[in-house]
Amino acid sequence: MAQNTVAPQQKPNKQKNSQFSGMSKALVRRETISAYCFLLPSLIFFVGFVVVPMFICVFYSFMEYGLGGIKGFAGLDNYIKLFQDPIFHRGFLNTVLIVVIAVPTVTAFSLWVSSAIYKMHSVPRSFFRCVFYLPVVTGSVAITVVWKWILHPYNGLLNQVAGTTGFDWLGNSSTAIWFIILILFTTSIGQPIVLYVAALGNVDQSLVEAAQVDGATKLQVFWKIKWPQIMPTTLYVLVITTINSFQCFALIQLLTKGGPLNSTMTIMYQVYDTAYRLNDLGYANAIGVVLAIIIAIFSAIQFKVAKTD
Amino acid sequence: MKAKTDLSGTSTGYKVFAAVVLILVALFFLFPLYWIVTGSFKGVIEINAKHPVWFPTSPTLENYMKLFDNPAFQWLFNIIFISAAAMVLTCITAALAGYALGKKRFIGRGVLFTIIICAMALPKQVIVIPLLQEMTAIGLNDTLWAVILPTVGWPFGVFLMKQFAETIPNEILEAARVDGAGELRTFFSVVFPMIKPGIGALAIFTFVNTWNDYFLQLVMLTSRENWTLPLAIANMQGEMSNDFGLIMAGAALAAIPIVVVFIAFQKYFTQGIAMGAVKG
Amino acid sequence: MKKKRILALALAASMSLGLAACGGGEEASTESPSGNGGESTGAVELNLWSFNIGGFTDSAAWEPIVAAFNEANPDIKITVTPINYQDGDQKLTTAISSNNAPDIIFEGPERIVGNYAREGLMVDLSDMWTSGGSDIAEGISSVSQLDGTYYMYPLSVAAHCMAINYEAFEAAGALQYIDEETRTWTTDNFVKAMEAIRDAAAAGTIDVTVPGIIYCGAQGGDQGTRALVNNLYSDYYVTDDGSSYNANSENNVKALKLLQDMVNNGSMSANASFAASDELQAFANQTAAVTFCWNYSNYTQYAEQTQFTPFAMAFPSDDGKPELEMAGPYGFGIFNNGDEAKIEAAKKFIDFVCNDKTAGVEAVKTTGFFPVHSEWGDVYADAEDADVRAPFALMSDYLGRYYALTGGWTEQRALWWPMLQEIMTTGADVQTAADSFVQQANANIG
Repeated sequence: MAQNTVAPQQKPNKQKNSQFSGMSKALVRRETISAYCFLLPSLIFFVGFVVVPMFICVFYSFMEYGLGGIKGFAGLDNYIKLFQDPIFHRGFLNTVLIVVIAVPTVTAFSLWVSSAIYKMHSVPRSFFRCVFYLPVVTGSVAITVVWKWILHPYNGLLNQVAGTTGFDWLGNSSTAIWFIILILFTTSIGQPIVLYVAALGNVDQSLVEAAQVDGATKLQVFWKIKWPQIMPTTLYVLVITTINSFQCFALIQLLTKGGPLNSTMTIMYQVYDTAYRLNDLGYANAIGVVLAIIIAIFSAIQFKVAKTD
Repeated sequence: MKAKTDLSGTSTGYKVFAAVVLILVALFFLFPLYWIVTGSFKGVIEINAKHPVWFPTSPTLENYMKLFDNPAFQWLFNIIFISAAAMVLTCITAALAGYALGKKRFIGRGVLFTIIICAMALPKQVIVIPLLQEMTAIGLNDTLWAVILPTVGWPFGVFLMKQFAETIPNEILEAARVDGAGELRTFFSVVFPMIKPGIGALAIFTFVNTWNDYFLQLVMLTSRENWTLPLAIANMQGEMSNDFGLIMAGAALAAIPIVVVFIAFQKYFTQGIAMGAVKG
Repeated sequence: MKKKRILALALAASMSLGLAACGGGEEASTESPSGNGGESTGAVELNLWSFNIGGFTDSAAWEPIVAAFNEANPDIKITVTPINYQDGDQKLTTAISSNNAPDIIFEGPERIVGNYAREGLMVDLSDMWTSGGSDIAEGISSVSQLDGTYYMYPLSVAAHCMAINYEAFEAAGALQYIDEETRTWTTDNFVKAMEAIRDAAAAGTIDVTVPGIIYCGAQGGDQGTRALVNNLYSDYYVTDDGSSYNANSENNVKALKLLQDMVNNGSMSANASFAASDELQAFANQTAAVTFCWNYSNYTQYAEQTQFTPFAMAFPSDDGKPELEMAGPYGFGIFNNGDEAKIEAAKKFIDFVCNDKTAGVEAVKTTGFFPVHSEWGDVYADAEDADVRAPFALMSDYLGRYYALTGGWTEQRALWWPMLQEIMTTGADVQTAADSFVQQANANIG
């Protein structure tokens, strides 16, 4: 196939069991030692500030743990409570909603913008790329507080322009989450656009021309030739957008605190809320562990799908 | 000629439509920044006006004067220090680790990589309680390092650098080895130059992400003099009443330096970010 | 095979690391302080965490008091960390759970006694009460203790009240509904006044957007909405015997229904995105004509912005006899960090601030409230703004029952404002919502 010759230096997937083929035992040992020397600085941080806390977190999740310290072994109580907790159910659905809406729209929209601007003259191209990246560099807190002002029911610009004085966009359980998603969207598409513009610019033009000579339509050219070539970029975009969506904290903390009526509660925010407002540290850790498992499964699926594609 | 082939098959109607949509969306994206900057110069009356005040008619510096009654430059310094330190440490550790994961065959590689993938999207909210206890145990509680160290521990950088390192042809490493270069020399004279663009991408990514990581700053920094500017802006609503003029002045001070740097170096910025995926 | 073994090893290793770490953490909680103050022969360092009560918004406000204290006690160094109600709970939880609790906290009984003493984190201050608390009113001493042991030593006290925009009321012809002398009004008159404001605003006579705002977007300032609901038909937040929350009582449901009706007919507004600070701001910039979250310290904080006369009022009550919630009493508690020297030093400091008349009066004036020592008399008698303070002193006459030590208080606070959201912004059935609130709140009361 023609594409294969230009696929951007993709390494053939190493089969796990063939990793050491053709290596002597001594060489394997030497390589292992030197590899871990290179890994050491990073592992100190990773193990110290991610892995160990994660294990302690699992430990706490089985405890009855409040402000006064660990009161006793709770067994599976925290986990049982979680599956019966309507706030957790709501948080789970909202988390899924945010990820399922934000990730595809961010990916699709940034791809559309990129394909519209990547062949422009360099000045407008830079301009648009810059503009869409602005919310990222402006900073999540700055963007959030200005939106809070824009959406203010009495002094906010939106109501003044729309003539809906008093309408409480963030205080309405059916509109609040859509604004969270909208603002998340504006702070998420900057990076994907930069990535896609570069990726599209690198698509092999000779293939595109050859296909056009064969009478392929614009759409066919895109799906048959460009799409496979920008696949690695798409994978990367999916990963970072998913991380962004799972972790949007400033928005919820500063705009809605999970309300109204838990309509913007996410699992991640419930962990924070349970620990810091309700001081139920054991339960908070149990929610955290379940969230970690959900995310691990999600990431694993993403990588599996991307690899088989 | 390039333009001609690219545009063939695209109707004028679509092009006009695309241009209009792009411009509208661009205005929508520019607006919050515009509103921050103009808002920061509005007095109390214009801030609370009941009709839109598109541009401050009697610009005032009172918001900035109120802002600088606080240690705002200290807060700005704190966030720059945190982001820069996290950036440098992440780049160093991730480059070394990414090379090992990408180019070396060793025992435990598959397991380690899987753990890294799973941990990449792990929100810090999950592990924050043990993390805080650790910071106390090592005496870093309520210091800037309590934000920096967990940021460096986040394995995304390692993942990114592994993707880069994998693109280094084995033959080059082989040649270095044949020449008798040791592991470290191979890394610094052969590997490092080849993954330099990737390190640039990671540096930008880490800096911006750390700047925006409000959560860690919120839980780790207690003392007022250790606050960061974003944290201070967030605390202004509520503590110092909801004075949007003051908040916008804080937001402007936090946003403008990084926006200016971004626009000035946007070519390098976008190249750097783009590196992340093109090779990935 | 090999891989599995390594994985198992790695798991075991990090597991044991993790366990070791928490083991260490727990030990630290009982032993670390003695380590910290190892060479505590003379000098002692104390951390004071101060909520933003009245004028105590930053560490500068504490400087004169600490300086005066150090004249007599040069060996005791006090470091002040100001915290606020926005994220103070989170900061304290963070500190406590990582064995970093401050030595002294400046707050009210709700947290000092209700949250922290109940968890066994506070030092017994009974000796201070025996030596210096004889002239402190029973209502205050009773809330500074838990099961007969004192955990808090108070400095000053006030009453939470509400306020109206005097000029707006005047222009709308609504002043007839209030008693300017006693600063009270009946429920009927409150309803009429709010309707008059609504109509005047609609007619353009006055420039406010809404008569009043029921804020229910966060728990900050919830004393205002509690007092509003409870006073309308003279009921209580908790039943007489303290065994149950009371939002679903006949009178409280009636009050909630009245408010719901007022929201529906536009003589009141409800905002599920508003916390008390948002509502105060709306009052200050004349968006709303009343605020339900008023006291002297809010008065001073917003004085610069308000272009009108904020007129302090008691909450409306059907019998005209309001019962206000106590603001504070604000005072000190000591976290038991296990170091006797520190505890002694902390007690010295608290004794100085609360019992030394010169320092104490200064501290009370900084809070803007009133001294708990009845012997101190009127500390504002010759203050420049005595007339501004007078109405707030008047409010102290209306102090009612104190609820904040009821079991499960923290948990029920997290349920109250969502209940208001449900009733006020989605029009839910009042009885159902109140029943559900009481049922959940009572789950933690025991």
